[in-house]
Amino acid sequence: MTEVKKLVEKEVLMNGTQAVAHAAMYADVDVVAAYPIRPYTEVMDTISKLIADGELDAEFIVAEGEHGQFETVKHASLAGARTLVGSSGVGWLYGMEAIVVTATDRAPVVAIIGNRALDDPGAYGVEHNDALMVRDVGWLLVWVDTAQEAFDTTLIAYRVAEDQRVLLPLGISMDGGFLTHSEQIVRLPPKELVKNFLPPYNRGKYLVHPDNPITVAPQVNEDWVMEIRRQHEEAMERARGVIVEAYEEFKKVFGRYPGSTNELQMPENPFVEPYMIDDAEVVLIGMGTVSKPMKVAIKNMRRQGYKVGMLRIRWFRPFPTQDVIKYLANSRVVCVVDRDYSMGSPNRGGVVYHEIRSSLYDLDQRPRVINFIGGLGGREITIQDVEKITKIGYEHRDTPITKPVYWVGVRGDPW
Amino acid sequence: MGVKDEVKYVEIVYRGIFQKRLAKYIAEGIVYTAREMGRPALSFGRYGDSPERNGVPAKYYVGIGNGVNEEDLIGYSTRVEPDLVDAIIVLDDTLLKGVESWAWQGVQPINLKLKNNGTMLVTSTKRINELLKMIPKKDFNWTLGVINTEPSFSGLWAFKDDLTMEKVWGGLAKLRPDIIDLDHLIKYVSKKQDANKRISAVKEAYSSVDYRSVMKGEGIDFVYNPPRLLTWQEMLEGTVIPAVPRGKRNELFKRGTTKFERPTVDFDTCIKCKLCWIYCPDECFDETPDGYYDIAYDYCVGCGICADVCPVKDCIVMVDESMFADYRRPYEMWKENKAKYKEWLKNVRQARKERVYVPGLGR
Repeated sequence: MTEVKKLVEKEVLMNGTQAVAHAAMYADVDVVAAYPIRPYTEVMDTISKLIADGELDAEFIVAEGEHGQFETVKHASLAGARTLVGSSGVGWLYGMEAIVVTATDRAPVVAIIGNRALDDPGAYGVEHNDALMVRDVGWLLVWVDTAQEAFDTTLIAYRVAEDQRVLLPLGISMDGGFLTHSEQIVRLPPKELVKNFLPPYNRGKYLVHPDNPITVAPQVNEDWVMEIRRQHEEAMERARGVIVEAYEEFKKVFGRYPGSTNELQMPENPFVEPYMIDDAEVVLIGMGTVSKPMKVAIKNMRRQGYKVGMLRIRWFRPFPTQDVIKYLANSRVVCVVDRDYSMGSPNRGGVVYHEIRSSLYDLDQRPRVINFIGGLGGREITIQDVEKITKIGYEHRDTPITKPVYWVGVRGDPW
Repeated sequence: MGVKDEVKYVEIVYRGIFQKRLAKYIAEGIVYTAREMGRPALSFGRYGDSPERNGVPAKYYVGIGNGVNEEDLIGYSTRVEPDLVDAIIVLDDTLLKGVESWAWQGVQPINLKLKNNGTMLVTSTKRINELLKMIPKKDFNWTLGVINTEPSFSGLWAFKDDLTMEKVWGGLAKLRPDIIDLDHLIKYVSKKQDANKRISAVKEAYSSVDYRSVMKGEGIDFVYNPPRLLTWQEMLEGTVIPAVPRGKRNELFKRGTTKFERPTVDFDTCIKCKLCWIYCPDECFDETPDGYYDIAYDYCVGCGICADVCPVKDCIVMVDESMFADYRRPYEMWKENKAKYKEWLKNVRQARKERVYVPGLGR
């Protein structure tokens, strides 16, 4: 504990977006492109103030819309600038053409996605479908669930995305409202230490510069596309190893695990967060802040004798298939809580549910998987909801699943 | 609705944009002071509110761990709003008549979520007994405190520091030392700029806050029936809602609690020009059989456009909402007794016309 105290410069009350902005300042970003949309906006409010106050020397560009916003950082990144960008909900989708080519041109842009429901109807609250729109186009995607984790993961994000073995854009997803607008205490490390962790951005032979005359993104059609996709997929696969390295290095430099506040809480896996999972018969799965009421509910249920645990999916791309298998293989029932949906999907369920089911398919002894669609558009998933989910999971330890998908707390469906 | 004593919650009710930062800074001060006391604490806004919109009632919360660690505190507080709160801070006495959030919950009583034996603290120049004419009764005893000050607009675009934060903290420390106590509050405040000035504001509020116990059943009747929202089978598809028939208004969505001042009409000088009826963006004016225009205050958001377009001097005048205890229609009052109405009009208009200059409010 005492050693960690030394590594904490100060403790500041800030919300998730402010935490990302401060981490971007510590990472000394060069170019920031902004266009407002709730709930991500405060990251730009904060960083513009940090620039105005002289704390950070960076270009702050207000774009004319999300398309221009993402084009701006893509080009800046190809020219060797460390960049920060972001959006939410339909704004993120409006920039989609630029967002897709950011990945194919291998620009390691770091974006914060303040998860928000897709219109209509207008809602500001969290829903993960906005970020999941890029799940198939080669973005790295990570979900964070506290302001501390948002800060730490932002530093890791630059290190992973800019690694020459990776060079891929990275989206840091955080729940609109429950994290973007909730102030928690963040332990900021001494600034000098960040230099030990985060090397300068170096594109090597891929730098667009007069001394290094190259062209990026020529029109090449069917002769090149397959090969480029194949390379892209390899880079995504290499990212797994780079992520592990980054977390190890983070522990070494800062003396604690990313997202934790002291050395006593040191979960061992970068990709997933296992919680009371070792002897769990029922395992709950979720992404983002839903893990917080889940943990409280699990403690309550454990006291009542339920053997229940949790696996929080932290990195969604690359997907932690092996970790999912490792932690779930011995469980009886897996309850996947999706803050998203996939209309008309194979089992009429959510995105994470289908990924988990797919990951477990090759096992000889598969646990049963039940899906809970909940918390859409910013609706709460309470501790009581999680306890109910656990009980439904428990009922299916020995009986086959009759209803694979439940909609949590929707008006009109008993669940 | 289970009482969670593992966490103490403070609710801060404020007017959107005008007091947004003020509410956030007050919450921040409570968090840091609680941490000085060795307790984990955090804060969050009720995100479904629209605090950027002028005057909209909005809420901010502080959660303080009462024997739980920081991680569990976050678990309990990953909420839109807590089920029950230990203390409510009301930053504008005109909010006491009820708040309507953006989310189709209807007009809620100001003390809806107050815990048994809870505390409510109001900034107001009115006395406790006057305020109780607007506050709904509870079926338990609770404490009402008043910090004697004008409603502060210091959360407006640029933060105008008028020491309202310090007064609120001081009042809270007096009434609820279990949430923040004076010693730790002063320790926190002394780290701020102009500390001496702030410390004396805290101490003054601490010693001068007026309060008393409110008995079970004391206060006004306020029947709150949350609207029943439709199930997915009942709703029209494709995000469709049916129009409100001509001449009617949406009973479920009033928005009248958004206003901190309301238009008053002098029917004796009204020339029936119809401009108020034409220009009102919320269609609050109803034409009467004799050609005057009555106001449905339930739906008036206090934008002041009617007062702006009215061509007759002092026919429509905006008056501070704290002068009114209810939403009674003015035309009825005028018809009942014209002389009495004239006298009443003179009184309310004289009292407090304006709290702060906000451009575009029609004065």
